[in-house]
Amino acid sequence: MPESNIQTIMSVGIDIGTTTTQLVISRLTIENTASGTFVPHVEITDKEVIHRSEIYITPLSDRDLIDAVAVSKIVETEYLVAGLTPENIDTGAVIITGETAKKENAKAIIDALAGYAGDFVVATAGANLEGIYAGKGSGAAAFSVQRHQVVVNIDVGGGTSNYAMFHEGKAVETTCLNVGGHLIEFEPQGDRITYISEPAKIALQSAGQRLQVGERITLPQLRPVVKAMAACIVEVLKTTKQSELTRALLMTPTLRLEHTIRKVMISGGVADYVYAPQGPVTMMEVTEFGDFGPLLGWELKLCLETAGFVLEKPNETVRATVIGTGTQSVNLSGSTIHLQEKTLPLRNVMVISPFSSTIPDTVQGIGKAIKNEMLRLQANQSEGSVALALKGPRTMTFVNINLLAQGVLLGMEEYLSQNKPLVLVIEADCGKVLGQCINANANRPLEMVCIDQLEVEDCDYIDIGKPLMGGRVVPVVLKTLVFNR
Amino acid sequence: MAVANNELEKVIIQSVLEELAKKGLLPSKGKDHVMSSASQDTPLYSNTSSEEMVTFPPLDEMQISKPFNADAVKAMKKSTPARIGIGRAGARPKTMSWLRFLADHAVAQDAVFLDVSDEFLKQNNLMTVQSAVTSKDEFLTRPDLGRRLSEEAVKTITEKCEKNVQVQILVVDGLSSTAIEANIPDLLPALMQGLKSAGIKVGAPFFVKYGRVWVQDPIANLVKADVIVSLIGERPGLGTAESLSAYMIYQPNEKTVEADRTVVSNIHKGGIPPAEAGAHLSDVVQQILTAKASGVKFNQQK
Amino acid sequence: MILKAKVYSKIFAFKSLKEVMAKANEEKSGDELVGIAATSASERVAAKLVLSNLTLEDIYNNPVIPYEEDEVTRAIYDGLNLRIYQEIKSWTVGHLREYILEHKTSGDDLAHISRGLTSEMIAAVAKLMSTMDLVYGSKKMRIHSHCNTTLGVPGTLAFRCQPNHPTDNVEGILAAMKEGLSYGSGDAVIGINPVEDNVETVTRLLEMVKNFMTKWEIPTQNCVLAHVTTQMKAIEKGAPVDLVFQSIAGTQKANDAFGVNAAILDEAFDLIQRKGTATGPNLMYFETGQGSEVSLDAHLGVDMMTLESRTYGYARKYHPFMTNNVSGFIGPETIYSGREVLRADLEDLFMGKLHGLPMGIAPCYTNHMKMDQNDQEMGTLLCAMAGSNFFMGVAGGDDVMLSYQDTSFHDDASTREILGLRPLPEFEKWLEKMGILENGLLTERAGDPSIFDK
Repeated sequence: MPESNIQTIMSVGIDIGTTTTQLVISRLTIENTASGTFVPHVEITDKEVIHRSEIYITPLSDRDLIDAVAVSKIVETEYLVAGLTPENIDTGAVIITGETAKKENAKAIIDALAGYAGDFVVATAGANLEGIYAGKGSGAAAFSVQRHQVVVNIDVGGGTSNYAMFHEGKAVETTCLNVGGHLIEFEPQGDRITYISEPAKIALQSAGQRLQVGERITLPQLRPVVKAMAACIVEVLKTTKQSELTRALLMTPTLRLEHTIRKVMISGGVADYVYAPQGPVTMMEVTEFGDFGPLLGWELKLCLETAGFVLEKPNETVRATVIGTGTQSVNLSGSTIHLQEKTLPLRNVMVISPFSSTIPDTVQGIGKAIKNEMLRLQANQSEGSVALALKGPRTMTFVNINLLAQGVLLGMEEYLSQNKPLVLVIEADCGKVLGQCINANANRPLEMVCIDQLEVEDCDYIDIGKPLMGGRVVPVVLKTLVFNR
Repeated sequence: MAVANNELEKVIIQSVLEELAKKGLLPSKGKDHVMSSASQDTPLYSNTSSEEMVTFPPLDEMQISKPFNADAVKAMKKSTPARIGIGRAGARPKTMSWLRFLADHAVAQDAVFLDVSDEFLKQNNLMTVQSAVTSKDEFLTRPDLGRRLSEEAVKTITEKCEKNVQVQILVVDGLSSTAIEANIPDLLPALMQGLKSAGIKVGAPFFVKYGRVWVQDPIANLVKADVIVSLIGERPGLGTAESLSAYMIYQPNEKTVEADRTVVSNIHKGGIPPAEAGAHLSDVVQQILTAKASGVKFNQQK
Repeated sequence: MILKAKVYSKIFAFKSLKEVMAKANEEKSGDELVGIAATSASERVAAKLVLSNLTLEDIYNNPVIPYEEDEVTRAIYDGLNLRIYQEIKSWTVGHLREYILEHKTSGDDLAHISRGLTSEMIAAVAKLMSTMDLVYGSKKMRIHSHCNTTLGVPGTLAFRCQPNHPTDNVEGILAAMKEGLSYGSGDAVIGINPVEDNVETVTRLLEMVKNFMTKWEIPTQNCVLAHVTTQMKAIEKGAPVDLVFQSIAGTQKANDAFGVNAAILDEAFDLIQRKGTATGPNLMYFETGQGSEVSLDAHLGVDMMTLESRTYGYARKYHPFMTNNVSGFIGPETIYSGREVLRADLEDLFMGKLHGLPMGIAPCYTNHMKMDQNDQEMGTLLCAMAGSNFFMGVAGGDDVMLSYQDTSFHDDASTREILGLRPLPEFEKWLEKMGILENGLLTERAGDPSIFDK
């Protein structure tokens, strides 16, 4: 079989947020960068955004329920504009975030998008992952690698602010604060309040402001409230001992602040006003989009600078999350792939990590640890496949790798008797030999995929797509499902 | 705490002597210190039961004083084995950098100049034959002899080795005995397992002492194997004396040139880990058997 | 004191500081002859590693030859400035190396700590230094001395004119002397090795040189390198002597074999001060060399380099005008090849300077060792770059009396030109007056000994 060294795949990112929905289509170039008979090393060498959709207001059938059918129509429209059909799309992800990230919504969207999502698109959500994708899409992650500086990216959207702290390209801390530009709605370009969300009510109370829906408000009245919210956003960067308001607005545990923050990037809808030369001066300017986003952006900028943080301009503002979702969700890996054509793609493979510290040194020990974890998660009963995630063998000797193989076969005995495929995800560079050992030790040919040099911390599920590059690699998407939050 | 006691004693003695000296009560001989007990071979305050020893500090230690961006230095050092971020004393390297360089050189020299131990060969069940070379010095200066077999080797191979196999594996010391001892125990079983699983007929591997790459050609002719795999020690760099290469060739003859050999190099724990390399090589050998070609011809077919 | 080190997977344990010092040495055939050299590259590195971790105090407490047993040890310890030693005694040898090399350490700083360093400490740090380290460190240290000319002025390089003759023939010696002077050689000293070590010969030669110097008004000093006791007798008899010379070594036993000891040297120093003909205050000239103790079987199990350092420790109390090594002179049993000579020369230059001695080098060789003229020239250039105060000058590079090869008058002049260096200031004026040198370059007349015979 002729093996090409370069291939391109189409990836789509769909971001369904509290206020807006958008999608981005990217062309990813993947190459085998090892030469000749070196062990193949496939990586993504280029990412080109080829289509940015319009930014739509998230269609809602009710205050909190997304109109899934309307969303699928948006996707259909944008594909048409881009000149693509679902069959053209190889991979990608849908991210459902903010206040709309509720169980009912996710299920509805997944169902509605099933046909439009192409052969391989998965639903993923979760505040932490959203912050990470935003930081990757905005360029914060890359900045932290190139400049060796710790960067925090805050994606300030309609309902929430999602933080991700990057150190040498890795997201080391995340959190989410319930502050966004859309928490109070207005008549567009007017000064009359049309909606006050719950978190906004808390902020108003804290600022000593009493406001009702229908009231008119002046800029001097609004500013202190928005300032207070901006201060909360900044306080999360400064300290772990926070004000009552900040603590009330936090949706996840706050940042541990274990690294000194060198730079701050702001992405999301509000970001354009953070980097503007001057802030809004009239209510009309503030409520241009029917919310107070422009004022929040400006006050945030002032607050960050006063607190001594250095702002860095991101590559992407509004589209950071969706671009991150579309381009950064794909990992490529694969060392030993013994699967039949029809087995892939595998979706929602549950990841189990039976070894918290060092691997036991006997076959029985390894088998037992795996069996216990499978039992604990009731994995044997589940319908889907299970992926065994581990750092690697005890040491990289052949003896220990073989021992690990035998232990895995023992531990997965019951699972394998159901003729389910064996999926292994290892951090160490030994996928091929481990796969070979498993085959040699098994008493019958197994369906197996053994992926190495991939870290799967804090991840609940993975999706494995159809092989690429002449069968050398498979795309793997790591995900946490919204249900588990 | 023997050391501490000695230190304390030393301080006390010294201060007493200083006092005596001040008062002019010491003879000029023992003037300022306890010199007289310094006998020829025993140091004055030796640690009698010392398990302390001097070692090199870890490689990731920060050696630049007052770095502009310590994180950047650390990341850069991690990204390459090159000796960067090592600081300076004036325009010269720091003492530890220099001594580490010397140690790496010593290790490389030892790798070249020492032989694979008999014990290792026994543990790994490897029969030994020797090339036409008779000493390590001759090996280094006479590559032509390293490419030929000794008369005794020809006899041994003819008598003892299985003929007409598909694959024959050779373990060759080449320019680094250390590489062989470090990698073969994990590489060889992985390679053998892969070939066996694929149902390939493999002759028992053996060791060629003072061998060069091309010694695989005369051996192929004696054993009549389709593919010969030589696992051979690479010339050591400083500090990496463990790198091994695999040279594979399909049915060599007198017209064989260098371009006919397929090479996988940099096999060691810091490169391609040996066990993983074994599995990979098993794949490559199978591909060569299928293609009935190796080297450039093999690449062209892919 | 930790005497054990781990190099990769090998552990080396040493029994004493003396053993560590020997094994930390670069390859020298003399150490191998005595049986104290490192047996592998890894052992050598382990010894250096141990040494780098020892403190100066550890070394102070463990002289390689006990104080009571050896006059050289006594000279070293009795002359030490203890106050300065106390300031630095907690430094490790590894730290001392870095201190020497750091930009903020000047020649003055090194001259200061020199007072508190014993010879073993100086040898120890040199054992941790590479070729460039030694050149780099040496270059910082400028040591001045004055006899009739000033040695060690920055930007200058001086030469001994060495016009030896196989039968001490005065006319022959004079001819070679003129040759050397016509090349600009002779500002350090006009120094003759006599075949016959007796007062008459010595006096005759001293007077001949002195008369020539007076007649031509040459600013330099005379010296005949006989045994110091012979020179002393000549001085008593009224011979004109600017510099008094002696060969010295690093153990009392070796010096005894040379027929010299502290008492004799003290006497010589006293005599030259009272009855010498030079201005001074520096009036002594010493020659040394790695391996002399080995050849005299007077090494006491100590390595050659440490003993050479001790020789400098012995010499410094006499504040000599000049000191040079002659490290390739003995033979291949002590120093085998050009490579070993070069290393020894750089070590000696560095160690001598760190002792505060106005150090010169003779990167020379005999015919029964593996070295040639190219090696010698490399050694000369490196040592000149490192700031050697002077070299020898021998007609055509061939000493016809001592049967060895040393730097020629040509080498001397070339080295000055290559590095942009001048003769000593007093001597340069004379060379210009004589029309031999102009703006630091040899003139048309240079290299013609007959200019003295118009």
